[in-house]
Amino acid sequence: MATEPKTELLRGTLDMLILKIVALGPNHGYAIAQRLRQISKEFFTVHQGSLYPALYRLEDRGWLSAKWRDTNTGREAKFYDLTSKGRKQLETEIFDWEQLSNAVALILKAAE
Amino acid sequence: MSWLRRLFHKSRSECQLDKELSFHLEQQIADYIAAGSSPEEACRRARQEFGGIERVKEEVRDTQWETFLESLARDFRYALRSLRKDRRFSLVAIFALALGIGASTIVFSVVYNVFFRALPYKAYNRSVIVSIRDLDAVAGGKVRKYFSPEEIRAIREQNHVFEEVIAYSRMRPTYDDGKSVRFFSFGAVVTPNTFDYLGVPPLLGRTISRGDGRPDAPLVFVMNYRLWQREFGGDPEILGRTFVLNGKPTTLIGIMPPQFNALGANFWLPATPDYPGLELMGRLKPGINVQTAGAELDAIAHHTHKANPGGIFPEDKFAIVPETLLDSLIGTFKKTLYVLLAAVLLLLLIACSNVANLLLARATAREREIAMRATLGATRGRLIRQLLVESFIVAAVASLAGCGLAYFGLKAVVALIPAGTLPEETAIRMNAPVLFLALGMSILTTVLCSLAPALHAIRGDIQPRLAGTGKGVGGSLRHGKLRAGLVVSEVALSIVLLISAGLLMRGFLILTRADLGFDPRNVLYFVLNLPPTYNTNLAGSLQRKNALTRQLLERMRALPGVTSVAEMAADPPPLQYELTDTIIPGKPHANPWETQLEMCSDGYFQTLGLPLLRGRLFSEEDVSAARDVMVVNEAFSRQYFPNEDPLGHKVRLDIFDKPYFAAVAPHDAYFEIVGIVRDFKTSVQDSPSWQLVPQAFVPYSVAGFNWRVFMARTSVDPNSLVKNMGQEVRALDPGVQISTSGTLESALTEFYRGPQFELAVLGAFAFIGLALVIIGIFSVMAYTVSLQTHEIGIRMALGAQQTNILWHVLLNGFRLVAGGIVIGVCVGFALTRFLASQISGVSATDPSTFGFVITVVVLVGLAACLFPARRAAAVEPLIALRYE
Repeated sequence: MATEPKTELLRGTLDMLILKIVALGPNHGYAIAQRLRQISKEFFTVHQGSLYPALYRLEDRGWLSAKWRDTNTGREAKFYDLTSKGRKQLETEIFDWEQLSNAVALILKAAE
Repeated sequence: MSWLRRLFHKSRSECQLDKELSFHLEQQIADYIAAGSSPEEACRRARQEFGGIERVKEEVRDTQWETFLESLARDFRYALRSLRKDRRFSLVAIFALALGIGASTIVFSVVYNVFFRALPYKAYNRSVIVSIRDLDAVAGGKVRKYFSPEEIRAIREQNHVFEEVIAYSRMRPTYDDGKSVRFFSFGAVVTPNTFDYLGVPPLLGRTISRGDGRPDAPLVFVMNYRLWQREFGGDPEILGRTFVLNGKPTTLIGIMPPQFNALGANFWLPATPDYPGLELMGRLKPGINVQTAGAELDAIAHHTHKANPGGIFPEDKFAIVPETLLDSLIGTFKKTLYVLLAAVLLLLLIACSNVANLLLARATAREREIAMRATLGATRGRLIRQLLVESFIVAAVASLAGCGLAYFGLKAVVALIPAGTLPEETAIRMNAPVLFLALGMSILTTVLCSLAPALHAIRGDIQPRLAGTGKGVGGSLRHGKLRAGLVVSEVALSIVLLISAGLLMRGFLILTRADLGFDPRNVLYFVLNLPPTYNTNLAGSLQRKNALTRQLLERMRALPGVTSVAEMAADPPPLQYELTDTIIPGKPHANPWETQLEMCSDGYFQTLGLPLLRGRLFSEEDVSAARDVMVVNEAFSRQYFPNEDPLGHKVRLDIFDKPYFAAVAPHDAYFEIVGIVRDFKTSVQDSPSWQLVPQAFVPYSVAGFNWRVFMARTSVDPNSLVKNMGQEVRALDPGVQISTSGTLESALTEFYRGPQFELAVLGAFAFIGLALVIIGIFSVMAYTVSLQTHEIGIRMALGAQQTNILWHVLLNGFRLVAGGIVIGVCVGFALTRFLASQISGVSATDPSTFGFVITVVVLVGLAACLFPARRAAAVEPLIALRYE
């Protein structure tokens, strides 16, 4: 149960993770948070205070599109979907992340 | 901050956010319940974890704000880049707007300060000065400003229109500073309620109050700031000191703050209740207008006149003339200001048309770029915001530049305003309201001008735009009519401005180049201020004055460098004279026959350089003996003796028989005409023009008015002899002083300053307007040509010659200029009549001025169209066709 340090690095990472989750399938805010928690095996528990601002930002940048739809509970919820711009952005971010983690791994290995 | 937002009605996005977060919370609770918790437990846990909906909402809101600022900053950067790339547009637009804003700020500042902030006195716009017009006198009548104590009492007690009434009179007392007696500065006696009436608190000490007006009260006076600084070095110790004014010890009780110059005086004393002649000023009760007041005062005056005939109100037929204080101080300047206001509005319109045109052209050229951005996902709102940010930057920079221009320009304009046009208390400054108006105007115009093309660019189909738009046939035509209309109106407005300036210029040239009929070069003049010993009421005063004059003329003549001397009664030519009715026996007339009267010495004609045409001038003996002889000018002879020789006829001048001249003029005197001199031009009050009127000259010794004006023609620089003149005067009588002096040429220059000011400002506006129009035509045509490159390429490929292209583009452009000229001339025709009062000697529809202006604009318009046309003709067809 890791807390969420609100560092810039993690904010960017959170964006990337949200994009990935939405890429798996359109969903509303609560479901996104749940999936994030489940798939990361309880590592990432996103607080609403970070989740919704992030969703708003991503929508504003044009990477996510939002639509109000009915859920099976009968209530209406705001569903987020990935746009083509968002898809491209996700690819870029994944690529950058892989570069970064490779480089870090190299450094850590060499220190021995 | 959130409490503030909570105050406002929840916006739609707020509601949605609410809904979204509530949904989340409910889902959370549902999951907990599904996992086995009780509903209350689930609720509690969920809420706790959620941390408060409001806080989450606030986080989202903060992000919204951040994102908004981010995107705004991005818009700014993009706008700056875009403007830098299209330098021609940016610079021209900023330049045009800055000029328009600068010029209008200057004029608005002047107008604002003159109309609304002219004087620092309480409710001065309700102050009215009252005078009496003698309806019997000629040419609009003689106006009397001084009222006797009985008249003042009658008006004060019987009127219902004034809130308060004050009375005052300017005077110049002697000042005994222990070492010598000399004339002090110009002051005024005022009724004790005056300072309350004016409502300005003193800087030091106190002001005159009711107690100081009692007959037994000690003598006191109040000084103004300038006199205090100039004569006493601003020393606060002089407060409470006693000064011997007019031989009586008077205590200084107060000093007024700077810019307080009430009633044109530098210091004020309380008037005794029976002071012989005071000017009247009253403050109207709210809601009463000037005409009503005038009517009631007139009724009071006539009633009082009937009650004691032959007493006060010496005029037989008279009318009370009320005038607002403001009008009396700046009356003629108001007309000038209206003209300038109209001119600057024209200039502003030209600048705005210019900018609008440029924005339209630019919008068309950017259609493709905008369409692309729309496809890439920019919303309508974003695009509009982007364009608005651009316009805002242009407007902001232009406003700053304009304000800077206005600051310096205002100083220049204020320096040009002739002295005496505005009351001293009026300070022309840039005020906050004017600045805000200017800024608001500029931002409004730019935003409006850019909104239309922005909206137009956004709507409609995107597809056709993406496929090489703006460059084809369609592109140059889009907004074509609007652009053409703007160019035409710009040219028309500029023509109106140019014609106005041209007419003023011609009028001014006629005024200043006129042959005045006398030689104003190297003539010195000075006005003598005679002390109370020469008062007209005292016995023997006439003889004393004549003796003084004779002796002074002799002494002046004896000075080296003086070629001839003269004395006269009026301020130096070409200014006003007394107007009198002329009675010629055997020629009765119903309407008054006007003659300008001048009382002068024998040297007058020689000093001015007036040649004698027939008969003789009066000689020194005529003057010493005060003989009733008269010299007339040609106009007199032409008008009153059309078919006969005036020499030898005897003429009576009615003005000498008026009651107010009773003590100082000969009664029922008939003057024999002995000579005719050539005409010379004089001016009439309030009008910058020359007139030729009948004039009569009689020896000064026949009548004694209080002032005497002396002239000397010199062979050296006249200014160098002023001091010597002063010495001669003092040598004769130390009580007599020179009050003003100068040369005829300087007097003329002062006279020209009024029309010169108007001409300078209007000319500047016209010039700027023309420059803007040239730039506008040039830019728009250049844009059009660059948009039409493709089309031109096709034409050339199809066989059109270079010259054909040249003519085609040239004609297209010139068509607009021609249209503008036609409209401008028609409008100018209709409007120049408003200038008629400002110009003299030239009609408001003077054809040569119109013709000249049209020629200039045609040439200039051709030049502006020529360069882009040449560029069009130089297009290489292959490059143009490939240019996509």
